[in-house]
Amino acid sequence: MILLCYQSCTMEAKGKIQFVLANKADELSLLSAKVETLAELWDFPDSLTMNLNLVLEEAISNIIFYAFNDDSEQKIYLTLEYEEATLSIRITDTGKAFDPTGQIPPDITLSAEERPIGGLGIFLINKLMDSVVYSRNDNMNVLTLKKSMK
Amino acid sequence: MNITFETKSDFTVVSISGRIDATNSNDFESELIRIFEDDRFNLLINCAGLHYISSSGLRIFLMAQKRVIAVQGHLAICCMQTMIREIFDISGFSTIFKIYGTEEEALQQTK
Repeated sequence: MILLCYQSCTMEAKGKIQFVLANKADELSLLSAKVETLAELWDFPDSLTMNLNLVLEEAISNIIFYAFNDDSEQKIYLTLEYEEATLSIRITDTGKAFDPTGQIPPDITLSAEERPIGGLGIFLINKLMDSVVYSRNDNMNVLTLKKSMK
Repeated sequence: MNITFETKSDFTVVSISGRIDATNSNDFESELIRIFEDDRFNLLINCAGLHYISSSGLRIFLMAQKRVIAVQGHLAICCMQTMIREIFDISGFSTIFKIYGTEEEALQQTK
């Protein structure tokens, strides 16, 4: 599967880039490669690049694996914007309504035996970003994430 | 992701490098299950070359720890890069794993 950019494929030192991804697991590898390139151009510290990759993987893999009831091809829209040392991420999908901000966080004080497997993806998104905002508009999930580098 | 295995005293040292993400965490899981099927439950996972982990990878570490604890084995981790350590810290995993700076230290202290 190819990763499309429908507005501009030119990655600039500052600005905005949009991607359209299909709901297929292969897209995750393509996306991480794109993000690495973009992070270099936008001169992110390594830790931010990893956190950005992680947050995108968690959010988009949730959509790919859980948002749709059948295997039909669907589109996931991703916008990354970097302005005044603030990174904004917007992820839009047409899958079933899912509010990641309404999830109960895992109890991270439990022992290994007691801890359930799973449930960490959304928790990591919330921990790594400064703000996580969800809205349901016109039958679409819109997730907006922000991280300031100041 | 690249995984190599080595036996050092009573331990199987699993050196993992690259990324563990949603696309390859099943491979990591299969490799660990293969070790457990050989009745090897003393593991040291060397993460020196690991530069990315997501929740898909974390769940495999937790699965391994549960499996090892159930048979009174040992699971230690060493040589984590700072960014990986941060993800373990945030997730509360730093308190449920024995984490060491070097292989030698891990092998000496995990007895």
